[in-house]
Amino acid sequence: MPRRRFGTFSGGINLPAEKDATLDAAIAPWPVQELRIPLCPLPAAQAQPVVAPGDKVKPGQLLARTDDPQQVNVYAPLAGVVGDFTDVLVPDDFFGWRSSRAIVLKDLQPASQPNRPDFDWEHADAAELLERLREGHLLLCSGPFDNVSRWLESAIESAADTLICNVMENAPLVTADHRLLAERGGDVVRGLAILAKALSVAHTMLAVDSQRTGAYRSAARLAGALKIDTIALAPKYPIEAQAMLTQVLTRRQVVPGRSTLSVRVAMVDAATCAAAYQWAALGLRQTHRVVTMAGRGVKSPGNYLIPFGTDAAWLLAQACESEPPLRVHGSPMNGRELAVGAVVGPRTNALLGMEDSYAGPPTPCIRCGWCSDNCPARLNVAALNDDFELAHLDGAKARCVTACVGCGICTYLCPARLPLMSRCQQLRQMILREAKAATP
Amino acid sequence: MTQAPTQPGAVLTKPPFLRAPEASRTILLVIFACACLPLAAGVFFFGWRVIILTAISVATCVGVESIYYRLTRQPALRRRTHAALMGLLLALTLPPFVPWYVPLAGGVIAIVIGKAIFGGVGHFLWQPALVGRLAVVVLFAPPLWSVVELTRPAWPVLAVNRVITGDIANVRPAERYVSWRDTQATGSNDAFELPTPRKILRELTTDQARPPESIGEQLAKLPSAWDIIVGAYGGGIGETCSLAILCAGLYLIYRNYVNGYLSGMMILAAAVTAAVAPVRTAAGDFRWLPLLIEGSDVGFLYVVYQVLAGELLLSAFFLAPEMTSRPVTAPAQGIFGLLCGGLGMLLALYTSIPIPFYAAVLACNTLTPVLDGIRPRVLGQRRWWQKKS
Ligand code: SF4
Ligand code: SF4
Repeated sequence: MPRRRFGTFSGGINLPAEKDATLDAAIAPWPVQELRIPLCPLPAAQAQPVVAPGDKVKPGQLLARTDDPQQVNVYAPLAGVVGDFTDVLVPDDFFGWRSSRAIVLKDLQPASQPNRPDFDWEHADAAELLERLREGHLLLCSGPFDNVSRWLESAIESAADTLICNVMENAPLVTADHRLLAERGGDVVRGLAILAKALSVAHTMLAVDSQRTGAYRSAARLAGALKIDTIALAPKYPIEAQAMLTQVLTRRQVVPGRSTLSVRVAMVDAATCAAAYQWAALGLRQTHRVVTMAGRGVKSPGNYLIPFGTDAAWLLAQACESEPPLRVHGSPMNGRELAVGAVVGPRTNALLGMEDSYAGPPTPCIRCGWCSDNCPARLNVAALNDDFELAHLDGAKARCVTACVGCGICTYLCPARLPLMSRCQQLRQMILREAKAATP
Repeated sequence: MTQAPTQPGAVLTKPPFLRAPEASRTILLVIFACACLPLAAGVFFFGWRVIILTAISVATCVGVESIYYRLTRQPALRRRTHAALMGLLLALTLPPFVPWYVPLAGGVIAIVIGKAIFGGVGHFLWQPALVGRLAVVVLFAPPLWSVVELTRPAWPVLAVNRVITGDIANVRPAERYVSWRDTQATGSNDAFELPTPRKILRELTTDQARPPESIGEQLAKLPSAWDIIVGAYGGGIGETCSLAILCAGLYLIYRNYVNGYLSGMMILAAAVTAAVAPVRTAAGDFRWLPLLIEGSDVGFLYVVYQVLAGELLLSAFFLAPEMTSRPVTAPAQGIFGLLCGGLGMLLALYTSIPIPFYAAVLACNTLTPVLDGIRPRVLGQRRWWQKKS
């Protein structure tokens, strides 16, 4: 493969990383007492429970089944006793939460799933791998709210020729994917190879932060053996955004309002790759997530392996000595405020204690231009803010607001404290919804 | 786990949960502090009267803004820091010898006509301080009311032994000007009067009864280079001290409150215009490229004097980059700077407008909405030739 130089993108800023507390903290378990496992991990029909209250379950045992290809089966993360049904919150589009029925699992025993290496992924062909992954009922840990097999199907449909594993992770404080690649690099890289084989793509790339390559040596060696290019890039925020990484690595610009598949690039994160390998090769269900707990008030910052269904607010309270002013689920730049009743799921890459960033009500725009100067999507953010205030949807459409990658730089920088990102995202959502309604 | 669960769709804080530390107020306060540097130079060379004029100007702007807000309750107008900054900038552009009612009138007009009727910060088209300054020129000049000699031929500077404490109103003409450092005030006179450098330079380019022999001869009449750099010559309160303006301006560029392109392009365009635009020779005809007419050393000095003497630097670092009235993107700001500098220098060379660069900035402010159309292509947006029909 000829050496290529990778470019950069216009806009973007260097954020304070603030990762020192958790960067070298090995992934550790965290004892939990009760799980509430959502039956609707994806926005589709609910999975039907196959266990009744009082049943004893083993780790990895089926709890709820579905025939809907848009939903996934639900499995028990730990051994325990099935309790009642309840409601929990799971992440939803646009920084919000969605309610879901959930199974309570009590009297938990610290047991882990047994390895069942009954599938030879190295010699399987693409169709066999796809079938195996479909049986895995895996969830995507980033990107669209979907399961892995539907995502693979749409990638094949759009003739994706490049698969990128995005381990840039350059939002402040979050280190979950970094630890995963550093400690379980073999799983991640093999999982990436499995996905690449299933997709039959021409190029597979592993994009990592150039400041941390030292921790990824063994993963990079294995990647080389599996014909995966490891690429280290400078961590200018938001290179972790899918559209930006696609542009830097392939020089293709994602069509506004569409995913990277619109330019034939499939992108996954480290956690999804690891889950794909653990299922396809070892027969382990996707029931845990590496979560970074850090930030203000957290007395034991670190990266922990947390079973799905753990109450997120309880978990963060356990880790904190005092209640932080703001509790955040996900990245501090574009995560969501932790709601009471939210549980850890595949998207919980971090639970953070943050300072309250509210500095007073918004003031008028002074036209400093910092928002549009640093917007990686080159949007005229101040004008879009006007469009939002005047409910001028056509103006926003003409300014191509659907290209917004949701990085949060505009709000971060705005000296007038205008909620620019959430306004742009709302406009984007409205336009996309309108377009969806228009197409039969 | 005793708390009631949050309802889906409940109002939560929206990301990002991190904020950069700079608020609008911080920006305005830093610019205000930086503008105090030229003001300090003004106080040094023009005495305590400057403080009074500045105080009147700032107080007028803040007061008018408050009253206007009380009357209209438009939230965009409750920005007293911005009003104070406009007052200070207005004061910097005024001559140090004007009576008290001049900054008062300028301040009222700056806020009411320059800012308030447009709807406040973020909406006005012309830089309010310059609107006030222009109004002062129009109101207190010959056709209307010529009590104040805004265009008087010689402007005062305090003598070395009377700086800060002297009264700029007690003037006598300097008999033979050598250098500011050799000026000594005696008796009740604190200041001495000199023709402004702009006036001397203008004799080279405008119709004169007795055209100057050569550029070199004209340059010899000007204050020394050192005086021009530190600001010891007649001019507006904050216009003269190039050193103070440059230091403050570079700091603002470093803080990213001023775009270096704009200031740089403005100065560059003015310098190039001065170097190329024709001057009158003794014979009365025009000759292009004054940079080279009498050798490059004289030409270079000529250009440097044209750039430093007058209000160009203050315009380039404080008045043109005012955020609301300048274009937003870097290329548009560069073009804006080029237009301001070029037009300003042409006005300075060939017209008798007393405030050429301010007038140029105001004229270019009018073009800002057009220049704002210059935008980079949005990520992934089709280029025009790729657009589907
Ligand atoms: S408009 Fe969107 S892409 Fe641009 S800075 Fe804001 S959040 Fe990022
Ligand atoms: S960053 Fe805020 S104040 Fe500055 S131009 Fe954008 S919206 Fe206006």
